[in-house]
Amino acid sequence: MSKSQRTIVPPKWADRFLELYCKPEFLEEIQGDAHELFEVRVASLSAGKAKLLFIWDILRFFKWSNIRTTKVNSNIIAMTANNFKIAFRILGRKKANTLMNVLGISIGLACFMLISLYVKQEVTYDGFHSKKDDIYRAWVKEIYTDGRVFWDIATPLPLGPTLGENIPEVEEFVQISSRPTLVGRGEGRIADQLDIVTSNFFEVFDFQIVSGNSQDPLGERTNAVLTQSYARKYFGDNDPIGETISVQIGSEIRDFIVSAVSEDPPLNTNVPFNLAISMENKDILFSPGALNAWFSINPETYVLLREGTNPEDLSPKTKVMIKSVLDGTNTFGDVPVEDHYVVGFQPITSIHLDDEVPSGRVAVGNPQYVYILGAIGLLVLVIACINYTTLSIGQSFKRSKEVGMRKVVGAESNTLVWQYLTESTVVALLSMIFGVLFTFLMLPIFNDLAQTSLVIPVNLESIVVVLVLVAAIGLLSGIYPALILSKLKVINVLRGTTQSVFNRQMIRRGMVVFQFLLTVFLISSTLIMRKQLVYLQNQDLGFNQDAMISVPLYAKDGSTRLSQQITTAMENGESLIGELSRNPQLTDFAMGSHVFGTPGWVQLGFDANTGTYLTFNLLIVDPNYLDAFEIEMAQGRSYDGSLASDKERGVVLNETAAEYFGVSEDPIGKKLPGDEFGDHQIIGVAKDFNFESLHSEIRPLVIVQNPIPIFMGINDFNSNDTVVPKLVFRYHGASLLAVENALSPAWSKIFPDEELNFSFVEERLQNQYQNEARVNKIVSIATALSILIASLGLLGLAILVVNTKVKEIGIRKVLGASPRIIFSLLFRGFSLQLLLAAILSVPITIYLMNQWLDDFQYRISIGVEMFVFSGVLSLTIMLLVVGYHVINAARANPVRALRTE
Amino acid sequence: MKGTYLGEFEELVLLTVGVLYDEAYGVAVMDEIKNETGRSVNISAIHSALRRLEEKGFVKSKMGGATNERGGRRKRFFVLTSYGKKALDEAQSLRMKLYDRIPNVAFGN
Repeated sequence: MSKSQRTIVPPKWADRFLELYCKPEFLEEIQGDAHELFEVRVASLSAGKAKLLFIWDILRFFKWSNIRTTKVNSNIIAMTANNFKIAFRILGRKKANTLMNVLGISIGLACFMLISLYVKQEVTYDGFHSKKDDIYRAWVKEIYTDGRVFWDIATPLPLGPTLGENIPEVEEFVQISSRPTLVGRGEGRIADQLDIVTSNFFEVFDFQIVSGNSQDPLGERTNAVLTQSYARKYFGDNDPIGETISVQIGSEIRDFIVSAVSEDPPLNTNVPFNLAISMENKDILFSPGALNAWFSINPETYVLLREGTNPEDLSPKTKVMIKSVLDGTNTFGDVPVEDHYVVGFQPITSIHLDDEVPSGRVAVGNPQYVYILGAIGLLVLVIACINYTTLSIGQSFKRSKEVGMRKVVGAESNTLVWQYLTESTVVALLSMIFGVLFTFLMLPIFNDLAQTSLVIPVNLESIVVVLVLVAAIGLLSGIYPALILSKLKVINVLRGTTQSVFNRQMIRRGMVVFQFLLTVFLISSTLIMRKQLVYLQNQDLGFNQDAMISVPLYAKDGSTRLSQQITTAMENGESLIGELSRNPQLTDFAMGSHVFGTPGWVQLGFDANTGTYLTFNLLIVDPNYLDAFEIEMAQGRSYDGSLASDKERGVVLNETAAEYFGVSEDPIGKKLPGDEFGDHQIIGVAKDFNFESLHSEIRPLVIVQNPIPIFMGINDFNSNDTVVPKLVFRYHGASLLAVENALSPAWSKIFPDEELNFSFVEERLQNQYQNEARVNKIVSIATALSILIASLGLLGLAILVVNTKVKEIGIRKVLGASPRIIFSLLFRGFSLQLLLAAILSVPITIYLMNQWLDDFQYRISIGVEMFVFSGVLSLTIMLLVVGYHVINAARANPVRALRTE
Repeated sequence: MKGTYLGEFEELVLLTVGVLYDEAYGVAVMDEIKNETGRSVNISAIHSALRRLEEKGFVKSKMGGATNERGGRRKRFFVLTSYGKKALDEAQSLRMKLYDRIPNVAFGN
C-alpha cells in the first residue's frame, strides 16, 4: 500500500458512533472487519465511495444484538424490582401492621390535602389573571394634621383617569364600584347588586367570555355583561344575548342590553361581579360633584403597570400628580398637600391576606387563620408519619436477623437503606391511593361543615404534587428506621447479643411523646376555641334578639335625598305595620336604620368645640325600637311615641357616647359638643349594648328619630350599609313558612314591585362569627382525625410491646405476679409518656391560644379545666386502645408463652 | 427443536466456514461467498449469521493474534464443530435422499 493511500481514514464520527453503541465484546472484530473492508475499498474504489460504504456498514451493524446495554443500569433496575418484591412480601406478611400504617397515613393525608385545598384557595386570590404580577390596587390615605388618618380602598372617581394621564407606567386603570339596585320593571323587582366597571375590565382581568361579544363586551354604554349564573337567574335557559335588562339607577329605571355572558368568577377573587355595566354611565350614576371630588370616595381603582415596574418607585410621581391636582385645597391646612394625601399601591395577589390594608368590596382574610390551619394540616400528617416510624423502629428488633443475613451475603448499608426506603415508599404510595379516595369521599362533608366550596383539581400539577408527597412521606417516615437497620453490626446480630438500644429507645419514646403532645395540643385548642365561640354566642349583648325578624324597607319612588329616603321608607313601614299588626303572632314592631348583626353602621365625624375630632355611630329609629329590643336605660328615659319634641330633637346616647362626649354626669337636657348641630336635646342614656361584633369594643352611639340636626353638624360620613330603614318585629309562631305567609300579602300591598326579603336577627348575629366557627370546625375535624391516627399508632405500639414482652410476662407470672401488676407494668410506660406530653403541651397551648384569643375584645380566659379535661380524655382514649391488648397479655396463661422456644 | 434448524443463508455461511477452515473470519467469509456464489452480502449479515451459528453450537470461535492490517485489531476466527459437521451432513443427506426420489419423468427430457 502506498503512503498516500494509508493516510485516508474512515470518517471519525462513524467510528466513534460504533464505539458508542457497540457491545465491548464485539467491538474489536466488528471494527476490525469494517476497517479492513474500508482499506480494501480505498484501494479499488474512490475514497469518498469507500467512506460512504463504511458509514453504511456501521449503520447496518447498528442492530439490537450489537447494541450495548449498560450493565450498571440493569443492576439498579433488578435491585429496585427486587426491593419492591421484598417490600410487598414483608408488608403482606404483617397485614395488621401494614393496615394500621396505611390507614393512619391515608387519613392523615386526606386531612392534609383537604386543609391544603382550603389554604390554597386562601393564598391564591386573583392568581388566575395572566397579568397578575403587574396589576395593583390603589389606596388613598388622608393624613390630617390633628392626627386623624383615613386609609381607604374606595378611591375618588377622578383618581383612575388622573393616574392614567400623569403616570406613564400606568398602562391601564380599572375602576369598580358596586351599589344595591332593583332589577326588572313592574312586578317582582328583585333587589340585587349592580357592578359598575370601566370598559377595559375584561381586558385587564381574565374572566372568560362564554358567549356574546368577547372582544369589547362593554364597548357601548348601554351594554351589560352577566355571569352564567346570573344569566340563568334572569333569563333561565333562554339566550340572554341581546335581551334587555332593566335596573334602577337613582330614581329612574334604565334599560341595558346584555352583550356578553362571562363564566362565573371564582371564589378567590377580589374583583367579583355578577351584573356589570360600563363606567361610561358615570354621569347618570354619580353626582357631578363626585365626578371631580378628591375627598368623596367611591370605586376601587386597579392599575396595570408597565411590566416590571416597582410600585414604590412611583411614589415621587404620584406626589407630583397630587400636588398638581390638589394644589390650593386647604383641607389639611398650611402644609404640603402631597405629604397628607398619599396614593399607594398593593399587588393584587397579596390583597386577600394583607390585613394591614383595610378591606375593599371583598373582605380581607385572616392570615393568622390560614397559617394556623396550614400548620394543623401538616401536624396531622406528621402524627401519621410518626406512627410509621415508631412502629418500624419497634419492628427493627424482629428484623435484625434478616439484616444480619443480608449483610453476610454481601449487602452494603446503602443497599439496605434503599430496601427499607422502598418499603416505606410503598406504604406511602398505598396510603396515597386511599388518601385520595378518602379526600374525594370527605370533600362534600368538609365543604358542608366548613362552608366552603372546594373542588379537587385534576391536572398535571396535582399529580406532581401527589407524587412528591409520596416520595417525601416515604423518605421522612422511612429514613430513620432504615438507617438504624442498616447500621446494625453483623457479628452482634448473628451471635444474638443485644446491642445498646438505649439511643434508639429514647428516640422512639421521644417521637411518641411528641406525637402525644401534638394530639393533646389539638384537643385542648379545639376545646378552647369551642368555649370561646359558645361564650360569644351566649354573651349578653345588652338587647334581646330572640325571635326578632328584620325586613329591609324601600323608599318611595322619586325620593333622592338621603333624609327623604329615610322618611318615605319609614312611612311605607308604618303602612306595613298597620297591615301586619292584625296578626297576633307578630309583636314589637319597630323600625331603625340599622339592625344588629349587620356590619357597617353609619359612622360620622365632627370637629368638637373642645378642638378635638370626634367620631360616633348613628342609629335612626322610630320610638319603639329601643323597647322592641328591650334595651335598658341607664339614665333618663327612652322615646315616648306621643311626644312630638322627642321626634323632632330627642337624642339618646349609649353610655360609651355619654362618656366620650363628656356628658356622663347628668346628661339629660344637654347637647352634643359641636357647634354646628341643629336643635337637639339628650333625653336619655341607654346601657351599653354590643351593636357591632364582639371582635370590637362598644363604640359611641347616637340614637335619634330625626337625623337632620345631626347631619347638619358633621364633617365626615362613612357607611358600608344602607341607612334606608328596616322593619323589625318579634314572631311568636313556630313555623318559618308561616312568617312568609303572614308577611307576603301585606308586603305586596305596600311594595308591589319589590321582592320580600327577611331574616332572623339571631342568625345574622351568629354569622358574624362565621370565620371563627369555620376555623373551629376544621380544627375539630383535624383533631378528631389526629386522635384516630394517634390511636392507631398507639394500638400498633401496644401490640408490639406486648409481643416482645411475652416471655417476660410469662416468667413474672410464674414467679407470682398478679395480672394487676403486669397490667400496671405494661401501662406505666405509655401513661408516663402521655403525662410528659400533656405537661409539655400546656405552655405551647397557652401561648398559641392566647394569640388567637387576643383577636377578641370579649374573650374567655384559658382555665385549668381545659387541660385537665383534654388530659383525662386522652388518657381514656389510651386506656380504651391499649387496654384490651394489655389485659389480654396480663391474663394469658404463662405456660403458652414459655413452653415454646 | 428450536436452534437446530439451519437456514439457507446459515448453511451457506457454515459451508464457507468449513471451506476456509483456519482462515474463516467475517471479511474472509464474505469474500468467499461473493467469489463462489456472486451474492453480495453486507458484512453485518455475515456477523449475525456467524453469531447465530455459534449460539446453536455449529461453530466455535477464538480471537486470533494481533495483525498489522486493520489498525492492529484482532480477528475472530470461526471453526466448524463436529456438531456443525453433523448438521451439514444431515442437510446434505436429506437433500440427496429427496433428490434421488425425484422420478426421471420429472426432468422432462
